[in-house]
Amino acid sequence: MPQNQRYSLADDVCADVAASPETEKNTKAALGRRDFLKYFSAGVALASSSCVRRPAEHAIPYVDQPVDQVPGVATYYATTCSGCASGCGINVKTRAGRPVKIEGNPDHRSTGGALCPLGQAALQGLYHPERRPQPLVRRGDQLGEVSWDDVYLHLSSRLNTNKVGIFTGGTTGHRAEFLQEFLQKLGAPRENLYRYEPNLLYAHVADAHQRAFGRYVIPRCDFTAAELIVGIGSDFLDQGLARVAYAKNFSAARDLNREHPAQLVQLESTLSLTGARADERIVIAPGTEIDVALALAQALYRQPQAQGGVAERQKIAALLQQHQVALAPDLQQHIATLAVQLVQKPSVVLCGGSHTFDANAAALQQIAIAINILCGAYENALSVQRGWQIPPVGSDDLQRFSRDVAQLDVLFVIDSDPLFTLPAAFGWAEKIKNVKHVISMQAFPVATDSLATHVLPVHHFLEAWGDAQTHAGQWTTQQPVVRPLTDSRQAEDVLLWLLATVKKPLPYADYRSYLRQRWQAWHDLQGDGKDFAKFYHTTLTRGTFTHQKQQARRELRAFEVKVQQVPAGLKLTAPLDNRLHDGRGAHLPVLQEVGDSLTTIAWDTWVALSIKTAARLGLRRNDVLQLKTASGVLRAALFPLPGLHDDAVVVPRGNGHRHGFSKVTDGIGVDPLVVCAVAEGLPLTAALPVTLTRTGKTYRLAAMQKENKLGDRGDIVKSLSLAQLRQHQNKVRDLDAVPDLYPKLEEGEHRWGLSVDLHKCIGCSACMVACAQENNVPQVGRSQVAMGREMHWIRLDRYFSGDADKPRVTMQPMMCQQCNHAPCEAVCPVYATTHDAEGINAMTYNRCVGTRYCANACPYKVRRFNWWTHKWNVIDAKDYNRNPRALNPDVTVRTRGVMEKCNFCYQRIRDGKHQAKMAGRAVQDGEIKTACQETCPADAITFGNLLDAGSKITQQRRDYRAYLALGGYPDIKEYGLKTLPNVSYLAEVTLQEEGSDEHG
Amino acid sequence: MAFKICLWLSLRCQLCIAVVLFFAEPAAAWWMWTPGDTVDNVGYKPKQPIAFSHQLHSEEHKIQCEYCHAGARRSPVAGIPPLNTCMGCHKFVATAKDPIKFIAARYQANQPIKWTKVHDLPDFVRFSHQVHGLAKISCQECHGKVEKMGVAVQKAPLQMGWCVDCHRQKKASIACLTCHY
Repeated sequence: MPQNQRYSLADDVCADVAASPETEKNTKAALGRRDFLKYFSAGVALASSSCVRRPAEHAIPYVDQPVDQVPGVATYYATTCSGCASGCGINVKTRAGRPVKIEGNPDHRSTGGALCPLGQAALQGLYHPERRPQPLVRRGDQLGEVSWDDVYLHLSSRLNTNKVGIFTGGTTGHRAEFLQEFLQKLGAPRENLYRYEPNLLYAHVADAHQRAFGRYVIPRCDFTAAELIVGIGSDFLDQGLARVAYAKNFSAARDLNREHPAQLVQLESTLSLTGARADERIVIAPGTEIDVALALAQALYRQPQAQGGVAERQKIAALLQQHQVALAPDLQQHIATLAVQLVQKPSVVLCGGSHTFDANAAALQQIAIAINILCGAYENALSVQRGWQIPPVGSDDLQRFSRDVAQLDVLFVIDSDPLFTLPAAFGWAEKIKNVKHVISMQAFPVATDSLATHVLPVHHFLEAWGDAQTHAGQWTTQQPVVRPLTDSRQAEDVLLWLLATVKKPLPYADYRSYLRQRWQAWHDLQGDGKDFAKFYHTTLTRGTFTHQKQQARRELRAFEVKVQQVPAGLKLTAPLDNRLHDGRGAHLPVLQEVGDSLTTIAWDTWVALSIKTAARLGLRRNDVLQLKTASGVLRAALFPLPGLHDDAVVVPRGNGHRHGFSKVTDGIGVDPLVVCAVAEGLPLTAALPVTLTRTGKTYRLAAMQKENKLGDRGDIVKSLSLAQLRQHQNKVRDLDAVPDLYPKLEEGEHRWGLSVDLHKCIGCSACMVACAQENNVPQVGRSQVAMGREMHWIRLDRYFSGDADKPRVTMQPMMCQQCNHAPCEAVCPVYATTHDAEGINAMTYNRCVGTRYCANACPYKVRRFNWWTHKWNVIDAKDYNRNPRALNPDVTVRTRGVMEKCNFCYQRIRDGKHQAKMAGRAVQDGEIKTACQETCPADAITFGNLLDAGSKITQQRRDYRAYLALGGYPDIKEYGLKTLPNVSYLAEVTLQEEGSDEHG
Repeated sequence: MAFKICLWLSLRCQLCIAVVLFFAEPAAAWWMWTPGDTVDNVGYKPKQPIAFSHQLHSEEHKIQCEYCHAGARRSPVAGIPPLNTCMGCHKFVATAKDPIKFIAARYQANQPIKWTKVHDLPDFVRFSHQVHGLAKISCQECHGKVEKMGVAVQKAPLQMGWCVDCHRQKKASIACLTCHY
């Protein structure tokens, strides 16, 4: 094992005598235990006889300290996340000019301070050691390093053409306008801007609304106006249209204090996080989403109470007449029942997602419009008149690109990786063959660079200027939070300088001043017309700007829907990965290591099949399968997953980078896009006919959760029905009333408690990333994860219950439970873990000698042992110089041989207490937030003082739903382990009407 | 066979390894047992880039501690003053002296000065000046009579026992989590 070599005994003891491999071997072979001890104690004697002092540390103060900087105190900057096209507002915590944590911006209206894993992990992207240090220019087969001056010189002579195009990712702010201005200046048509997002849903939804209402918009969805949400292959909690905003809103709609918490019914062929969260889940065959949607529209149309004007109904009738569908009788029955409920309750139907990007994906959105008209969702739960979502891409960008590319001389590819994110069948490489100059401008090396003539490193979004308009009138501003870490440039500035070199300048000094000019328009809308500088400053500080924007709804036009039939049989679906998205997060170790929420697999790509299909084919977990489609062949290991349709074969996207730009992605996973197809210029990544063959090999997937069932323990995850809850709602629980023989606990000023609402948790794993970033939790790599040595302080446990075809999925964030009667404390021989008067199970790293007794004693298995000193430069066996500048300076970095675990973000508690002390008051409820709580898009986590009778956490601990993990069944005087944790859970509530579930 | 070779090699190398272990170990021990517990470092007076005299500034010229160590009230770290604080006065005061010429040149060249920390707690200890200031602990209680010192020297042992003694006397928290997290 390579680790053994690197961390040999000799290496650590003889730290200074950098041992060659031979010496190491000899040391191990040569020294008996006794000999070793002999020399060792002689050495100790020598050490203590001489007066030694640890190495001198230095302090380097500023030359000119900025007025807003106090060393040791964090400064926050509001900016915009460009991780995906959602444009969430973020606050970046910086210490001495270095970003150390990304948090959501509470002032951003739709996300309210929450953030997804990808957004938080951007910090690792910023400090990534493999970012390009300088520009490259192609000479023959090789890319050679050049200076920026040379780049301008080189390109200026090649830009005297109007055959220029720009290929970029989805963007909603002023950027698209700017890029079009650039093209215009060069004499190229504005249409030569091609925006592509692998999440085709943006384009499909907006396009359908363009056809139906003549408006290229995405409706704003407000679940709080609905009591019934139906998803047909929808993935609004996975990737969807705006992941965080949807999750936040969904959580609000499901709040049990509402009279009718919104119920979610999902019809899908694969198991998505959205489906896992559904109250009722109906499994349908892959590729039949369109049929189900049509059947639902038909059933709705037949309902007498169905909504919609006369003219609208006529057009829908015409659509439904064209397409008749025949579904299985029981499914038909389900749909008929759903249709009745849909017209009775305020409801909304969401169709499609990255699990359904098949040939009918665009048509599905049109039918979704018909359905939503019939159930009266428009201007209720869905709005296209106020606060609609801005589509980050154009309607036919990809088709236009395929058509135009042959005529282009120069193509800029900015912050987009088409070579990797488009299926191999799209033939990107073929298509750009005749483009003379391909200029790839990326913040991080990507596959497309390998085809470029010029590769220009541009700013990471944390170093750049920009803005985003996620919803109409809802802007977020983007400002640099750190000086550029490499010799990179702002992409837009490069374009401006290029224009200047070809003597066609735009009248802006840089992109920042361009934005400043644009933002003047906001000031005209809101300000008093004076003092723009002040407005500019406050807007940047706040990070958001909102103004009212309305448009009238247009008449419904006729539908034109073409439906293609999908043949039966096994079908491949390659959805976007929940953490890595289309692969843009693959180089970030923290995302790789949090693992997939449903399979718990980290650092790998897997093939998911239903349990039945795997059994039918005689396949077992980890069997390597060969998948063959019309486009190609792929090999990956099997993970049988409950809840899949028997015809579904699911391989997530995101991994399988083969261009060797990053040690993190090297050799990790496979890319399913090599077997995906293209139709009408768009990628087809779902419902692709596929054949499976067994290779006879096995590959051990690094699945973190070893046990997937709850067995007969009903006190880990509890659930009850809404009726049961309503019956007992006013009953107050006292979880602490556990009879025992322990002496009474010492009581401090506070008793910190945390509560996790399992009814709200959507399993997005944002908490895990937040925790890792906040607490300097290292990533250990695939081989260590496979040995169960991952270091997560908070993990996401996932349990399947019920039928394997139709499982109930429960997600349970599990962190140290801070037991009042902690088994770990009693066994520690050196008092390294002790009980704090404020209820926290304290872990004193410098006392720990690494016996691991505590980890053995812990019934929740939340203690993590440092098997190695994770030196921030090694992942697995790979040398990988992770920049330690990203570490949170408020948290001790642990070394080898030390146990560690969640401590309720104690640095935040200290800080909150200090703040309160300085202000001469008590700590207020909600003032201190743990990292996981702060980022949770579903508002599932609450933290606070249990001694404060009015605090939210006290209410939650007294709630009828509250229970302690492994705390038995207090109702029947059965108290389980009696560990009396300060972490309590709120039971899941099934909103299904018929059939009540068992209550633990 | 391989085993025999190994055995032979190990016997041959034993002495050499013993020598290496004997000398390398103090270095290792230095890292593993930070001698905070056994060596109290009282009297530690590292050489600094310039022989800054606290006595001159603080006692003679009556400059308050927090004028330069401005972080003490607002931050966990008291901080060493940035060069612009020095230059606030030394643009005009004592400009002809060598040390002042040195800092002026550094300031002009936009180069910070690398001081050696005198009061250096281990990395696993969290200490906040702000809160101790609020509790009316004078600077001198931990740092000694700095106003009488030339170049700064460590007066208190800064060991855990010493911290805890004071916390006990003043009825402050002595929970592990107070300082270790």
